Amino acid sequence: MKKIIYLLVTLSLLLAACASPAQSSSEFDINDWDSVLAAAKGQTVNWYMWGGSDSINAYVDTFYGTALKERYDITLNRVPVADAADYVNQVLSEKEAGVEEGAVDLMWINGENFYTLKQADMLYKDWAQVIPNAKFVNWENPAINLDFGRPVDNMESPWSSAQIQLIYDSARTSEDELPRSYADLKEWACANPGRFTYIAPGPGGFIGTRFAKGALYEISGDAKQWLSFDQTLWDSQSPALWDYFNEIKPCLWREGEVYPKDEAELVTLFSNNEVDFSMTQDITGAGRWIIDGRMPETARAFVFDNYMIGDFNYVAIPVNSPHKAAALVLANLLLEPEFQAAQILPENGFGLGFAIDVTRVTDPAQVALLEESASKLGESATPADEMAKALAGDTAAEYQSLVEQDWLKFVLQQ
Amino acid sequence: MKYVIRALLYLVLVAPLALFIVYSFTEGWFFPAPFPSEWTTTTFQRAMDDPRTLGGMWQGFVIAVIVSLLSLILAFPAARALGLRQFRGRQIAWLVLFLPTVVPPLAIGMGLNILFLRVGLAGTIMGVSLAHLISTLPYTVFTLSSAFARYDENYEHQALALGASPAQIFFNITLRMMTPSLVVATLFAFLVSWSQYLLTLLIGGGKIITLPVLLFTAASGGNPSTIAIKSLLFILPPALVIAFTARELNRHGNDIREQY
Repeated sequence: MKKIIYLLVTLSLLLAACASPAQSSSEFDINDWDSVLAAAKGQTVNWYMWGGSDSINAYVDTFYGTALKERYDITLNRVPVADAADYVNQVLSEKEAGVEEGAVDLMWINGENFYTLKQADMLYKDWAQVIPNAKFVNWENPAINLDFGRPVDNMESPWSSAQIQLIYDSARTSEDELPRSYADLKEWACANPGRFTYIAPGPGGFIGTRFAKGALYEISGDAKQWLSFDQTLWDSQSPALWDYFNEIKPCLWREGEVYPKDEAELVTLFSNNEVDFSMTQDITGAGRWIIDGRMPETARAFVFDNYMIGDFNYVAIPVNSPHKAAALVLANLLLEPEFQAAQILPENGFGLGFAIDVTRVTDPAQVALLEESASKLGESATPADEMAKALAGDTAAEYQSLVEQDWLKFVLQQ
Repeated sequence: MKYVIRALLYLVLVAPLALFIVYSFTEGWFFPAPFPSEWTTTTFQRAMDDPRTLGGMWQGFVIAVIVSLLSLILAFPAARALGLRQFRGRQIAWLVLFLPTVVPPLAIGMGLNILFLRVGLAGTIMGVSLAHLISTLPYTVFTLSSAFARYDENYEHQALALGASPAQIFFNITLRMMTPSLVVATLFAFLVSWSQYLLTLLIGGGKIITLPVLLFTAASGGNPSTIAIKSLLFILPPALVIAFTARELNRHGNDIREQY
């Protein structure tokens, strides 16, 4: 009996030893794209991303999944996760355990999560500006080469853009009574008590944090000064910010004692007619939510005249990804003009904006496609010129946690 | 009065389920509309078309079955010793077995994941099943040991005196007498494993996706229809298992009653 057990253990160890090198045998040189394609052929790419939206999931599976299979013989395995922090933890645990072939090949990350993995030295390097379609990306733009104020350093590649907007229901609220600034909003909220609330700033409520930062811009009168960190500036300006939120507080939904913790909760409040405004970061405005059946078809997006913060979404590859070649091909595919054009169409259900700079696209057919998409955003989206006019960059990263912690201290718990 | 209470009880039990069913087949049902305006099977279709849904149910089921079997095998001897014997360190053994019910699974899961990654168990069905054992064992041990506390070993002695072999004693006496408790213990193990989210997520690392993982992901998006469908699918197997067990236990009870 004991002998059999020993035999089984030895056998399984042998099998385990044989299995690993066979997988990673596909060598490639990132500067020779054909070698990347050859290495990626037949691989499965495990893409970890937030999976809470049916329409985004369907978009990813149909558009990217089909193209990867047909063009490159790559299988896309989209791994749906409730929170990006979960796969960041997975990668960090793998580092701790010294796992050379991790579970994650590509991940949708942003801001703090990116910085955490970068600090841990767990990101694959020197690729984002090397992939062929990087030529469509304006890497000179600080909104792209900085992620929440942290240098991207060629370790992640953008795939879409986002800008905060508000959503109203045109069947309930008429366009001319919409507030067009934070000051307006306070007046509106107190004239309509209980009909407005915002997402609690915090790691899960990044749109709420962004909303608070916009207020900081307006109250301090300038967005640019917040690009680099300055503690004395924060100390002198932040009290006025918390005054603003405390003044608006009694006029909010449930007198500001509780706040929706994320976008999904605010959308539910909005759709069930408890509050009159929701928030989004989609270029299609309310489009994706309408497709998802989460908002009435009369929902429309709008922006204030100024200080609507926008940025980019990225994908990154962990350094221990076993299928880097396939991950590179996918990251490159995301920037393909035809998919960039597809992702902004409301009916496709993805809803986020371009990552590429459309002026860099030269092929006339692709240019036409991109222009056509941009013209089809529909009435549930904010007009492009209004978005562009109101666009502001994000703050230096240090302000992120300051805003979140001080909001808890001076607004929620005061 | 009795009927009113009974009706109320049923209402409380069934209403959330009924709401799930309604939500599963509607879209765009917002307050203050009293009834859904649109009935559709698209969300349901979408959930069923996604191979992860059925795959997740299957994986979760396989894991729950493995976990049920393993926890029985492990809990049975432990419960026998704890229920029948007095020995030094018995209290400590209890404490160790019950610790997982008070220690948060996140604390266990993070450390366990690193250990399992090192030995190659992370991201495998076996690894996730072993992790689930941590949560199921207290329940199976507790159920079985309280049964053993009422167990009369003299039946075994009698059989031994009559010349039965240890195997015969085990299968014909011990196992027979313990059947109802074994069924209940299996049920507990199955249910606890089937609904595990955190340990599956941590140890599975995205390679093992069960229905609770999909359900939590859907909940993070807040789409009531998707959440309702996944909840219904989540409730179905445990409901079947409970119904089946209840019937079996009833029958067993009747058998015993007939014997006396």
